[in-house]
Amino acid sequence: MKRVICLAWISVFMIAGNLSAFAGNLNLFEGMKGTLRIAGGTAHIPVMKEAAKRIMTFNGDIQISIAGGGSGVGIKQVGEGLVNIGNSGRKPTDEEINKYQLKMFKWAIDGVGVVVNPENKVKALSKTQLIDIFSGKINNWKSIGGVDKPINVYTRDKASGTRAVFWKKALDKGEITAKANFVVSNGAMKSAISSNPYAIGYVSVGYIDKSVAPVALGGVVPTLENVKQGNYQIARGLYSNTKGEPSGLTKKFIDFIFSPEGQKIASEKGFIPVQ
Amino acid sequence: MKLIDHSIEKFFWIAAVLSLSITVLIFGFMVILGFPLFKGGQFFELLSQPWLPDYGTYGIYHMIVGTLSIAFIGLVFAFPLSLGCSAFISVLGPKRFGQILKKTVQMMTGIPTVIYGFVGIFLLVPIIRELFEHGSGMCILSASILLAILISPTMILFFSDSFDQVPKPFLDAVDALGGNKAQKILYVILPYSLRGVITGLVLALGRAMGDTMIALMVAGNAVALPDSVLDSARTLTAHIALIIAADFESLEFKTLFACGIILYLFTTFITLSVRSFDLMPWRRK
Amino acid sequence: MNRVLEKSVTGFSWICAMVLLGTVFCIVGYLLIKGLGTINITLIFGETDPKDALFFRKQVFDGLFPAILGTFALVVLSVSFAIPIGFAAGIYMAEYCRGIVKRIFSLFFDILAGIPSIVVGLFGFSVAIFLHNYFSSRIYPCLLISALSLAFLVLPYLIRTTQVSLENLPEDIRRTAPALGATKLQNIFHVLIPRSLSGIASGVILSIGRCAEDTAVIMLTGVVATAGVPKSVFSNYEALPFYIYYISSQYSDKQKLLSGYGAAIILLVICGLLFAIAFFIKHRLTYHVLYRP
Repeated sequence: MKRVICLAWISVFMIAGNLSAFAGNLNLFEGMKGTLRIAGGTAHIPVMKEAAKRIMTFNGDIQISIAGGGSGVGIKQVGEGLVNIGNSGRKPTDEEINKYQLKMFKWAIDGVGVVVNPENKVKALSKTQLIDIFSGKINNWKSIGGVDKPINVYTRDKASGTRAVFWKKALDKGEITAKANFVVSNGAMKSAISSNPYAIGYVSVGYIDKSVAPVALGGVVPTLENVKQGNYQIARGLYSNTKGEPSGLTKKFIDFIFSPEGQKIASEKGFIPVQ
Repeated sequence: MKLIDHSIEKFFWIAAVLSLSITVLIFGFMVILGFPLFKGGQFFELLSQPWLPDYGTYGIYHMIVGTLSIAFIGLVFAFPLSLGCSAFISVLGPKRFGQILKKTVQMMTGIPTVIYGFVGIFLLVPIIRELFEHGSGMCILSASILLAILISPTMILFFSDSFDQVPKPFLDAVDALGGNKAQKILYVILPYSLRGVITGLVLALGRAMGDTMIALMVAGNAVALPDSVLDSARTLTAHIALIIAADFESLEFKTLFACGIILYLFTTFITLSVRSFDLMPWRRK
Repeated sequence: MNRVLEKSVTGFSWICAMVLLGTVFCIVGYLLIKGLGTINITLIFGETDPKDALFFRKQVFDGLFPAILGTFALVVLSVSFAIPIGFAAGIYMAEYCRGIVKRIFSLFFDILAGIPSIVVGLFGFSVAIFLHNYFSSRIYPCLLISALSLAFLVLPYLIRTTQVSLENLPEDIRRTAPALGATKLQNIFHVLIPRSLSGIASGVILSIGRCAEDTAVIMLTGVVATAGVPKSVFSNYEALPFYIYYISSQYSDKQKLLSGYGAAIILLVICGLLFAIAFFIKHRLTYHVLYRP
């Protein structure tokens, strides 16, 4: 009998503890006021938007503005004090960390996958083929088993973390043809590929949905599972960076992202949460 | 009373000087912020080199080519179209129809450029892509077509106004000699308003070179030198919009000011040439 | 030979007219076909109740309301900056300025009018960064900076229309009041300006239209994709033309894309309306002002 009572009390405490932890997620923002400016990696945007929506609905005194621009922009702007949180889809370099006294917070894992239009028959490529396509050596789909149409390469600008990871890990720092079309974000890449049957590009794995078709690289399809298990090598962390130790609203936001609710948002949007 | 009057008049003068100084300030900021580029004589190198950030070369030559080609090809489409339409409005078309066309053209001047870009992406680009089977459809040609539609209304109205300023006795003379409408326009109106036509053309060129959204949305923004009108290209204006997010201590960012300076100089040159034609209506007094 | 040329000229101009009309109908028609269906309360207010949104009790997500409000705030701010300066400078040009000085001013204003909007935006951005580094670190690209930059953009239009409207008044109207003993200022305020009101008003309306539709300037000076309703002039904001651009380059699903069409229609309607008002004012206001019994 004593044991049962003991067990009962323990379970009550456990439940109570969990409940308060659960309520604590948004309660972090109880009574807070102010503006939070976020900019940077475009892959992070869906998670940021959802988090902002919940926070702003819970507490109408808080205003959160979210801009894109790419990882380079995020790091630069948070370093210059133009925004409170700078998102990046790549780890900031040591130089950047030292220059801006950045504190990094990695809250999810993501991959970068090659994508083509769903109508495209080509669904698998070897690494060499990939490097040749992006450098412009292979320029017609028929050379790799597709239709007789020129390959339209799409790429991102230099500020993009997605591009940096892709260039380093998938292309082995190979050249990207100067004739490639430029798009400004992961979302833009997805839209461009889904509307052009002869396009090829690269995008955050979390963004891949029915409108684009992932291309297997060396036999491995870029899915979340494969990234999680380490089969798909082209992976990267999603970071939120602050200048120095975060405080106030900034700190609460970062705590929120690491909280169970925040991590749940990350996984709903297609990324692998770190917790 | 006198004091108030005097201060109000002083205020007018101050406002005018303020506006003038803004014009100068804009150029000044560009030059000052882009100053590091002049120091090493890099500025002129930039004008002839390609944009290869991975290799440390930040030349804007390709972007200058992009701007010029899109603007000129756009004009090639727009000029005949505008001439034809304004001839129609002023002389060659039935009066009612001409008025309807003129009203439509006036409404068109209110259409934002972003709308043209938006429709261009979803309507024009796939058509170009399928029709020519060359690139992605986002190319100089698409941008030029949309640009032509953008600048035509202003050109048409300008030409129409010039045509309307031909003195009535001349037109009556043609009628008296038994000439028809086509002869009227070819041999009397056009030669008389030649100056106005050229002015309108040059003004439209300035507008075409300065447009950002159409080029940004539809021209593809590739950094390579375009080989054909079906290649993707980047203009100076789109380049500024794309790179604005970069690190502003870097050389990369400084080149934006070089772009700004080039654009400023282009458009100032155009303004100066138009003024020298002495046909700006607001300089009548 | 000449016969052929003459015949073809007429035919050519007909073709041009048809092409132009056809293009306009295509563009507007395409937007209407694709977007008319999306125009409803949800497009503007998302899932929030309109009454809550209008009284700012709740934020609106996934709706166009913040963008519409942002555009509205932008227009009001920039026009309030531009009108006093533009009027004053225009009056100066028309009434107080002569000779070589006038030519110099005129030259600079024409240059200002010709500057591409993105260069003005670049200038605004540089000013913002400059202020951020040397004055107060609380200044970022924001609503205020955008409004100032847009004011610079429309300033030449306002100056020009004011100047032209004043200059186009007949000489006898100009000379009447002074002949009766009025001072120059009295003449301006009591006689000349009321007479040129229609031209000035249409210039103001056109400037409003220009501010509402411009995208390049705001892209560089503080507009973002998500910011909610702007709480102060120092905050980021959303705007309708930027929303259209943003959606066109990155739409996450078909629904979002359709909302872009809806936004395009709304923007087109706003600009069309402003334009029609300017037109109406130009033609009707003259009548009412001059012939009021």
